[in-house]
Amino acid sequence: MKTHSVCFPILATLALSAAVTIANVSNNNAPRGVSPSNAKLYVPDNVNNWSCLDGSKTIPFSAVNDDYCDCIDGSDEPGTSACGTGQFYCANIGHTPSNIKTSRVNDGVCDEECCDGSDEYDGQTQCPNVCEEVGATAREENDRIQSVQNEGARLRRGFIKHGKANKVLLTNELETLRSQVDHVQLALNDARDAANEAQEAYLEGSKSEREATRKQQLEPLIQEQTKRLKYASEVRDMLKLTLQSLKENHNKNFHDMAVKGTVSGFDDYIVAQGEKTETVEDDLATLSSDRQFDALMDETSVVLRDIGTLHDLLDGMKRDYNTEYNDEAVLAAVKVTDDFEITWDSSRLDFADVEHLVLPEELPVDSPEAEKFRDAMDSAQEVFNDASGKESKVQEGIRDIERKLNMDFGPDETFAQLVDNCFDFKDTEYTYSVCLFGDANQNSHSSTHLGKFSGWEGDNYDVQMYTGGAKCWNGPERSVKLVMSCGTTTEIVSVTEPEKCEYLFKLQTPAVCPIPEGEVDEQEHQQEQQQVEEGEEHTRKHDEL
Amino acid sequence: MESAQGRIKSSKRRTIVRSVLGLGLALACVSAVKREDFKTCSQSGFCARNRAYADIAKETPQWVSPFQLNPSSLRLHKGVLTGDLINVQEDKQPSDKPALAFELHLLDTDAARVRINERNPIHPRYDGVQDTVLIKPYGHATEESYQKLGKDENGILTIQYGAQSQNTVRISSAPFKIEFLVNGVPTVILNDEGLLRFERLRNKEEPKVEEEEGEKQGEEASSDPLVEQKPGGNEIEIAIEKSDLEKKLEENLWEERFKEFTDSKPRGPESFGMDITFSGINHVYGIPEHASSLSLKATRGPDAPYTEPYRLYNLDVFEYEGDNPMALYGSVPFMLGHSKNSTAAVFWMNAAETWIDVEKSPEDKTGGLLSWIKSKKAVQPAATKTHWISEAGVLDLFVFLGPTHRDIFRQYASLVGTTALPQAFSIAYHQCRWNYNNQQDVAEVDAGFDEHDIPYDVLWLDIEHTNGKRYFTWDEAKFPNPTEMQESLSAKGRKMVTIIDPHIKKDGDYHVSKEGAELDVYIKNKDGSSDFDGWCWPGSSQWIDFYNPKARDWWASQFSYDKYIGSTKSLFTWNDMNEPSVFSGPEITIPKDVIHYGNVEHRNVHNLYGTMFHSATAQGLTHRNETNQRPFVLSRAFFAGTQRFGAIWTGDNVASWEHLELASPMLLTIGLSGIPFSGADVGGFFGNPDAELLTRWYQAGIYYPFFRAHAHLDSKRREPWLFGEPYTTQIREAIRTRYTLLPFWYTLFQEASVEGTPIIRPMFTVFPEDEAVFGMDDQYMVGDAILVKPVVKSAVIRSNVYFAGKEKWFDIKDYSVEQGPGFKDIESPADKIPVYQRAGTIVPKRERPRRSSKAMENDPFTLVIALDSVGEASGRLYLDDGESFNYEKGDFILTEFKVSKGVLSSRKVKSTTATSVESSFAEKAGGLRIERLVILGATVPLKKVTVGDRTLQASCSQVGGSYVCTIKEPQVTIGKDFDLSFA
Repeated sequence: MKTHSVCFPILATLALSAAVTIANVSNNNAPRGVSPSNAKLYVPDNVNNWSCLDGSKTIPFSAVNDDYCDCIDGSDEPGTSACGTGQFYCANIGHTPSNIKTSRVNDGVCDEECCDGSDEYDGQTQCPNVCEEVGATAREENDRIQSVQNEGARLRRGFIKHGKANKVLLTNELETLRSQVDHVQLALNDARDAANEAQEAYLEGSKSEREATRKQQLEPLIQEQTKRLKYASEVRDMLKLTLQSLKENHNKNFHDMAVKGTVSGFDDYIVAQGEKTETVEDDLATLSSDRQFDALMDETSVVLRDIGTLHDLLDGMKRDYNTEYNDEAVLAAVKVTDDFEITWDSSRLDFADVEHLVLPEELPVDSPEAEKFRDAMDSAQEVFNDASGKESKVQEGIRDIERKLNMDFGPDETFAQLVDNCFDFKDTEYTYSVCLFGDANQNSHSSTHLGKFSGWEGDNYDVQMYTGGAKCWNGPERSVKLVMSCGTTTEIVSVTEPEKCEYLFKLQTPAVCPIPEGEVDEQEHQQEQQQVEEGEEHTRKHDEL
Repeated sequence: MESAQGRIKSSKRRTIVRSVLGLGLALACVSAVKREDFKTCSQSGFCARNRAYADIAKETPQWVSPFQLNPSSLRLHKGVLTGDLINVQEDKQPSDKPALAFELHLLDTDAARVRINERNPIHPRYDGVQDTVLIKPYGHATEESYQKLGKDENGILTIQYGAQSQNTVRISSAPFKIEFLVNGVPTVILNDEGLLRFERLRNKEEPKVEEEEGEKQGEEASSDPLVEQKPGGNEIEIAIEKSDLEKKLEENLWEERFKEFTDSKPRGPESFGMDITFSGINHVYGIPEHASSLSLKATRGPDAPYTEPYRLYNLDVFEYEGDNPMALYGSVPFMLGHSKNSTAAVFWMNAAETWIDVEKSPEDKTGGLLSWIKSKKAVQPAATKTHWISEAGVLDLFVFLGPTHRDIFRQYASLVGTTALPQAFSIAYHQCRWNYNNQQDVAEVDAGFDEHDIPYDVLWLDIEHTNGKRYFTWDEAKFPNPTEMQESLSAKGRKMVTIIDPHIKKDGDYHVSKEGAELDVYIKNKDGSSDFDGWCWPGSSQWIDFYNPKARDWWASQFSYDKYIGSTKSLFTWNDMNEPSVFSGPEITIPKDVIHYGNVEHRNVHNLYGTMFHSATAQGLTHRNETNQRPFVLSRAFFAGTQRFGAIWTGDNVASWEHLELASPMLLTIGLSGIPFSGADVGGFFGNPDAELLTRWYQAGIYYPFFRAHAHLDSKRREPWLFGEPYTTQIREAIRTRYTLLPFWYTLFQEASVEGTPIIRPMFTVFPEDEAVFGMDDQYMVGDAILVKPVVKSAVIRSNVYFAGKEKWFDIKDYSVEQGPGFKDIESPADKIPVYQRAGTIVPKRERPRRSSKAMENDPFTLVIALDSVGEASGRLYLDDGESFNYEKGDFILTEFKVSKGVLSSRKVKSTTATSVESSFAEKAGGLRIERLVILGATVPLKKVTVGDRTLQASCSQVGGSYVCTIKEPQVTIGKDFDLSFA
């Protein structure tokens, strides 16, 4: 309470009499702390009694504001702290009247809400009346807010206009595309049948000859690749075992962030592994040579990627772990990493080969008959490719529009304007970004996913949630709560992390600026008219294309 | 060809991979449970040796202690008895070694002190604990106050002492034994079991080469069946004669290993141990800090619940477990024993690692056939035998014989000090979290309390507020204007606390690190010259040597406003990690062989390190720029005497029901050991409490002397309003209840600061003759007036409460009445726990809800008067300015209230020193009025209430069998005596 001089000028007897005499003293007719509109509630009855506002008790009217709490609801002490549960009215002439909690009356604090200082009247604390200047500042601030809101509302109307028009446009577009689906689908099916037939014919025409050649061609490659896969799998399992052992055995008391990071990375890896649906491989032997080879190559690259991931984890720890702790589990893992790096670097060359071990072109079977079949097959394929392109374009178009139409842009489609717009915010350490209705990220030298748009919170269309981001060490999946406030531009104004891995983005945007009541209907009506027209125009244009 | 090459390499590769794989598999077998980071007795050389000695004594029929006092050496002069103590086993000839020096001091407080030290050690044993722990040189009993009764026929010397000559000490020479008797009843007996053992300092003998060879030959020989049949060799004979236990007495005398750490122990073995028997006493208490029950459990003997001794060694234990004698953050080697007939205590003044075994002899429970048979057979009377083992220093023991526990608290406090009278705000509610992230966050949390109308006094900032864990600095991006931040809270009467730890980041650009290096104030490595370097939050760090007087003064000076930039008068301090916690050290602490100022090995002072730090910090806050402000410093580590410097808390607990339950016995134990200002983190530090657990924890936490909510960095936010209704209302109601009772709490703190009494009290201290409460630690008393039984299980809405004594108890919320004695099931719905005011007490309150304790300072009082069965009650109110030292100059109000024969009298207790303070607080606050009297337990509705010539109205209603009467505005003040009569 440094701003106030607290003093005790009132001696014992004074305090007692003051407690009684301060009652009922106020500028208007109402007892102290009662607003003019409530004054009618504080009138004595014909025997000068008064009933608590909850009706629970009748007391002498002189007991109102006598600095002693008589009523259970606290209504007898609107002007003192005796009950502490009611509201104290500050007239705040020169500014706006306000109600503060009666628990803040005569508590030695000059409450901001009570700029006239009427809350501190016991003489212990001097609160100057600052309503004139506070009022002036508030009015200035109000003007500023008003002009922001006016401009914001104007912009928002634009958003709404765009959003509504866009919706009509998209709806029409969707209809058009849907009407084309059957057509392109049919064409695609026909083309596929034709292409298949042509291929069948070609393959039938030279089957045994081709297969034999191909098998012979691929056999050594498959053998080699099988060995390499086996070796790589062993290395991967060894690294997993090392990390598993590190996770179980490292000393948690040391709080070594490098070790913690590696262990949590490993946990993420294991979770990711679990999420990958295990594709049950067909028995390789029954597959054609080509499919066999492809499957082997695919699996090998998965394993190599795993090795890379696991090694990165170990290597990260190896670079940064605290050598003074002599944690046996960590030392063992570092040793494995060293050994691995020595052996792997030498064998790495071979795996470079593996990456180059590409499927050779099929050796052509030379005969005019085959040539003919092949030409037919190629041109059928071309027709199919073309039909397929058209079909997927239509389907993609439908999906894209459906995505947008299914998005909740608010009752007046305000947010359509902002969909997929991205915003950055730089603080001292990171750059945060969010693409509205898309993804949020945290970027420094690398990028961390903070979450994907998962919906609105509440009914006001001003808070968005982005969830399911990268998992935190020892914590939840990262998430973002994006809270919007009215502004004339759309930008992130602050990013904080109130609790670990749960971020709070504050975004200002015209999209949440209030549109004055009454204006809405008129505007909407006009806009709707306009949109329908525009939409029709658009549709027409589209048809023409 | 590519593939051929690949094949060759691949086979080479495989061998290497196999070997690496093998390593991985081997690793999976190494386990690293956190318990294994901390020693057991058998892993601690000196503990194992002394415990083995106790085993030998137990296994030897008719064991006799080899220690004897030389009768001719005994001298009694001015309250001090001195003599020579000889170990007849070791010193076959009296001239073998100088005898041990024995001293018995009779103190002017009726306490006694026993010391055993080496008379002429090869280098001095550390004897400095008394210099920092004892508050002043104490007085000895005057020659008139004791009486030497001479020796009896068995050579037992008897001295009678004490204010009423109630105490007797009997000293037996051979074997050495000391019995303390109260009114003729043996109460505390030293070396009754003959476990006294004292390792004298020695020079390390170089291992004899011949012996080793001899052993080798012996081994080789024994592998030869022919030689084995010849039992002639001397050496082999000795080896056979020494039992396994006897061999243990010789183990780990010098260098000792634990995990990857080596303790060099350059001075070799220097431990000692002795048994202390509490005769006729079944329950012993104290020796915190352990996550265990109030009444200590047996660690030896059949059916002992624990197998390890209680350990005292200040340690940072990650996620500690309940029901366990493992060492924790603090140590107080004080133990109190209590029975229906006697109360006694001992203080083992030693700051080195200490272990204590507890053994209970058969309880003589009354009733039951078995005990009847036993009583007929005249079995050994009930006793608790304790065995104390310390690693280094001298044996220095105080014995307190009461006769009441209040006497004991006073006697003990007269040696180690009472709790400092705290800043008034510091007993209100503290809001903490690791971490409030920035100024905006601080402002929002602060506003949250106002918005939800929940009072709080202090907002805390954990390590993240600093620039890279450099204490006394701010992360300028997050806290650009700390002064403004503190002032905006201070305007509402609120304070802030920042964390300051004893590890200093090694960084030449960090002013504290640099100055520390220049002044040479860091703890040294075992070589005594280079600075010790270890890891903690900031990475590579150094630890300040608070044993260096220069270091203490320099440290204290860091708190002045011009040094600690961004600190203000409303900023206070939190000392954490001061066991000290060293991530890279043995048992997560500093090695024992590091060196302090004056060439003192850390081993001798470990348990005091945190307190030395705490004390230097408190000194810093007291003297920062001469503000005449009391300090407030919270510490995690503690020792006997910590109470003089500030509060402590029970460290890093867990958001679980188990830890909520643990808090009561832990705080009761710490409180009765002289440190009443303590608390447990409300909500639990690690993990996430659900709404029910958090609410129940607040309902319990408002009855902790130190009341703070705290949460780990990885936990979810849990400010009191975040769980929504009905929880916000329930938590608000709980915190407000604490605030209404602040006058009562503050009065208890004042009492503690004078009398050394605990503030929250075990049931047995208020009902010392009721055996049903001796082991009770799930309910307790606040002062002598308020009974609290926290709800510590989920979904519990009825609690079994024990109402002790024959008087009534009044629910503090609805004034409903319960009659003692006995257990009763009491409703404990989600919004309340059982809390009762005892009949015969008067509790002063301030009932107006306010946003901080500061905002209440002009509020009037309510007295809640609970009449007992003869219509009497008493209580008191202490009040001062709550922040300065003016109370030391007599500027305070202490008023005693008493009801007797239908008259409430209020009498101001005159302060002993007339106040010399100008415009005193007492003068001004004397005008504060008592706005309400609530009288509970009236047998008839009060009709006529008069003060002087004024007549007042009472409004009464019947509750249970009696009346609750409220007297509005009796028009009296706390500063002026009055008599109010009612009928």
